[in-house]
Amino acid sequence: MGRQYEIPVGAQHISLLEPLHFKFTTENERIVRTDANVYYVHRGIEQACCSKFKFRQVSFVVGRVCGLCSISHTTAYSQVAEKLLKIEIPKRAKYLRMLVIELDRIHSHLLCLSHVAENSGFEALFMKTMQYREFSMELLEAVCGNRIQYDFSIVGGVARDLKPETGQLILQRLKNFMPQLEELVGIYQHNWTLSLKNKGTGVLTREDAMRLNVVGPFARAAGLAVDVRNETEDLLPWKEVGFEMITDTAGDVHARNMIRLREIGVSIRLIRNIIDGLPESALLTETKAFPDGEATVRLEAPRGELFYYAKGNKTQVLERLKIKAPTFSNVAGMVHAFTGNEYGSAAAIIASYDPCLSCTAR
Amino acid sequence: MNLASYRKKSPWILHYNAGGCNGCDIEILACLAPKYDIERFGMINTGNPKQSDILLVTGPVTKRSRERLVEIYAQMPEPKVVISCGACASTGGVFRGMYNCEGGVDQFIPVDVYVCGCGTRPEQIIDGVVQALAILEKKTKELEESVKLKREAVKEGHQLNRRHIADEIKPVLS
Repeated sequence: MGRQYEIPVGAQHISLLEPLHFKFTTENERIVRTDANVYYVHRGIEQACCSKFKFRQVSFVVGRVCGLCSISHTTAYSQVAEKLLKIEIPKRAKYLRMLVIELDRIHSHLLCLSHVAENSGFEALFMKTMQYREFSMELLEAVCGNRIQYDFSIVGGVARDLKPETGQLILQRLKNFMPQLEELVGIYQHNWTLSLKNKGTGVLTREDAMRLNVVGPFARAAGLAVDVRNETEDLLPWKEVGFEMITDTAGDVHARNMIRLREIGVSIRLIRNIIDGLPESALLTETKAFPDGEATVRLEAPRGELFYYAKGNKTQVLERLKIKAPTFSNVAGMVHAFTGNEYGSAAAIIASYDPCLSCTAR
Repeated sequence: MNLASYRKKSPWILHYNAGGCNGCDIEILACLAPKYDIERFGMINTGNPKQSDILLVTGPVTKRSRERLVEIYAQMPEPKVVISCGACASTGGVFRGMYNCEGGVDQFIPVDVYVCGCGTRPEQIIDGVVQALAILEKKTKELEESVKLKREAVKEGHQLNRRHIADEIKPVLS
């Protein structure tokens, strides 16, 4: 039994995008215990949504919960508000929402992959992945008008239409991206130095993933087939556009990388199907009703299952809004999967979780 | 080439998220990436406040990150420049008035450049950083001038000591 040392990481650290504090208890460079502290960025959005903003404004506020998955938040809120208003949105709006969610998933996954590469010490691969990621940002700008914070979904439908030439641009850029994706898969799969850092580190077994209630790519890399896109059909028709579940068994950092890369492939196929089969209809369902009753919505954000609960009381302001973000479900699994790894690989493991703390803390 | 010219050519960036939504943070990361390539100005992202010259702050300051922000600012060596990235870092933005938010960054630390937008575009960030470079140069010059002033010899012969004056007055009174 060696002597135990406590090493703090955060709240400000080069490998962290946002304030997050981990306290590692190490013994002979091996992590034996981890404490996580994730609530640095708590802002009080839920309370403000129930007091300060009207229910049609809230969809713009909840977009600011998280910049990476803002479309997931706005869409989930719009859906829950539509349930409270008891309206059905046009089919074209559903398809456009799916299109932007999938484009957002591509950019989010590529950002996470580049971050893993950087934290593993592979700076060149970080640069390469970030370079290839720019096409998705340009496409999002072409579709929504902004690089981040799209405000695309509003209560009742979507804010902008997709022009046919923008659709053609998306197909063209995706075609250009395919060889780049294959190149990235080759590097992440076969690069020997990267595999030394990534294979066998941060392992979460299937049983632990089940027990600790893990969601998203983190769970799918451990062999747990959880994906809201596979489970719900009522709000967004995922299976109609060809969704396919992807799982891995290893549960380490390398498996998470491969899950993300393969999901990008699925997203590309979904986007192609959406643009090819885009139905013609109105974009918005107008209503003068006020939200009434209770409703819940689940949506697959890039990091996992996003859950919204809302309660209305026939006024402009909601009575209660509850957001449960995917990273909140993952914190227990994140803390567990550090155990037994070397401290040197902690940065890469943190990046491979793809934590989004502004979602968690709200 | 001395140290000052190196500092002029390569300012190092420290990035801190004081409670924002990650949007501006990923745009800062995109600035480091090949398309916008902020490294052509010699800038590099560093994690150590003691080595950095430019502090990029994003997000409205939450009550919990406030102390960390001031601490990081205090640890940076002079001369230093602070850039507030995005609407919420500059004014509080949409989060203004929420119960755990304090508002803009400039309530706690002096801000030199305000970058607007939600989310901030990489071009705007680069523009702000280039403006910050000019401010950094100016600050460096001021700092060096003040050091020169201190070094000038003080002419002690002309200064009067109060105790000396009192001693002289005493015999006249008695």
